[in-house]
Amino acid sequence: MIKNVIGLDPEFKDYASKVESEINRGISKICILSVINESAETGIHGYQILRDLEEQTNYMLIIEEGTLYPLLRKLEEDGLIKSHREEGGRRRNYYSLTKYGKKVFNYLAGFYSKLIEAIGSLFDVNVDLKQDRYLFCPICANKIKLSNTELKFCDACGYNLENDLSTRGLKNE
Amino acid sequence: MNEIRNVNVQNMIKSYLKDVKKALPDWLKEKKEHKEILADLEEHIWQKASELSGNNEPSEESVRLAIEHMGKPEIIAKEYKRRGEPKVYITKEMWPLYIKVLSIVFTVILSLQIFGLIISALTELVSFWDMIGGLVAGIQSGLLFSFTIVTIIFVVLSMEGYFPEDFQSKHDQKKYRELVEQAAEEGLPISSTGKIMKPFIKPIGEIIGGGIALIFGLIFLFQPFPAVIFFPEFLILLRGFGLIWITEGCLDISRGIIGNHHPEKHQVIHGFLIVVKLAAVPLLVILMNRPEIFPVFSEPWVYVGIPVEFYETYRGIVAVVIAIVCLTTIEDIYRIVKLQKYKY
Repeated sequence: MIKNVIGLDPEFKDYASKVESEINRGISKICILSVINESAETGIHGYQILRDLEEQTNYMLIIEEGTLYPLLRKLEEDGLIKSHREEGGRRRNYYSLTKYGKKVFNYLAGFYSKLIEAIGSLFDVNVDLKQDRYLFCPICANKIKLSNTELKFCDACGYNLENDLSTRGLKNE
Repeated sequence: MNEIRNVNVQNMIKSYLKDVKKALPDWLKEKKEHKEILADLEEHIWQKASELSGNNEPSEESVRLAIEHMGKPEIIAKEYKRRGEPKVYITKEMWPLYIKVLSIVFTVILSLQIFGLIISALTELVSFWDMIGGLVAGIQSGLLFSFTIVTIIFVVLSMEGYFPEDFQSKHDQKKYRELVEQAAEEGLPISSTGKIMKPFIKPIGEIIGGGIALIFGLIFLFQPFPAVIFFPEFLILLRGFGLIWITEGCLDISRGIIGNHHPEKHQVIHGFLIVVKLAAVPLLVILMNRPEIFPVFSEPWVYVGIPVEFYETYRGIVAVVIAIVCLTTIEDIYRIVKLQKYKY
């Protein structure tokens, strides 16, 4: 972001830009997983991932286009995403989450949501976690959709969620 | 005119992709996968350029901008080099190979130095102390030099994102993958990084060893021999040893039956073995302090006992046996610790 500002003190600009990159690096991975997760089974191609990321983050999170593909390759190597190439036509590579990737994403999404909620006060920011739609596991912070009617245990740590659900009047049988 | 522009645009993309390929790490260039990577980048550039041209035929300017947005080839390549878990400048994945190469190089250097020493000794051209001095200096400089070179090579390889399997041929890689699958089917230990680990026991050896201990244990316990020729205290001690050997034998046999699976069960058995082995120590102490009950016979089966002047030697021998028993428990502790890395 600050890289594009002209006429700043170079030392300040370099330092701020370096820290900004460090923060973006960690966040990029989880945001990419989130965009792929939204595409569900159909998958999404690299260019669209970048477009969605830019639009959904209001052009705040910008990933250098060339670095997206190494990141996608790493996620595929780690077994979080899978890809299939379009038959004929433009032969674009479509990416979607694996079952394992979905589990990792839910956990990371929960952890990250709770983290930004917790650090919000440091920056005088309020974070709305939409607790009416999601339950955050009290043990591991895994993000669990309340619309899941078979919900009983946290699928990341195995914690019994019945008490937490019953306090919300949502006990599943 | 349009054709010329198209050729120019295609050349720009080709030239960019060529630069990216050049910057990619060698291990990736050797894989077919790099073609897919370049295809993804090309597709991305075309799409971006088309969008920048308002979804019309991409212009030279829009392609130039799309390439600019893509980033420098070196930056893209650098991302592909981010591979492996760092461990003191050399990645965790390369560390075992680094240690292996160092060991081989050190062994060769030591062997050459010793060979040189033998030649010097045979030719008698230099004095003994000069030979020793030369040997120490040779080993010192050789090890230091090789350590530096090997370490630099491995740091560079780690920075380039190399993994040990990148040095294998495609045929070997395929063969290794098949071996891993076969090992997984057979239940052989496989590390978290997908490597086949050395089996931690030889099941047949454990069963045979355990069987022998069991047989001797049963003989000591039930004593199917004329007992009158032995001291009663010695026979009681023998029964104690018999019980210990039976337990040890059974534990060894069960380890053999479990085989190279369930490392946690092996750890528990080793824990029991430590207790059982230590149980023999008090019995051995009693035996050490009672040399007169130890059976020594003259022909034909007449008890004579150990001559008094050999009592100290006898006590020394039993003390050594006690020390050995204690040392074997250390081996069990070592195995418990070693088995930890087989839990995956």
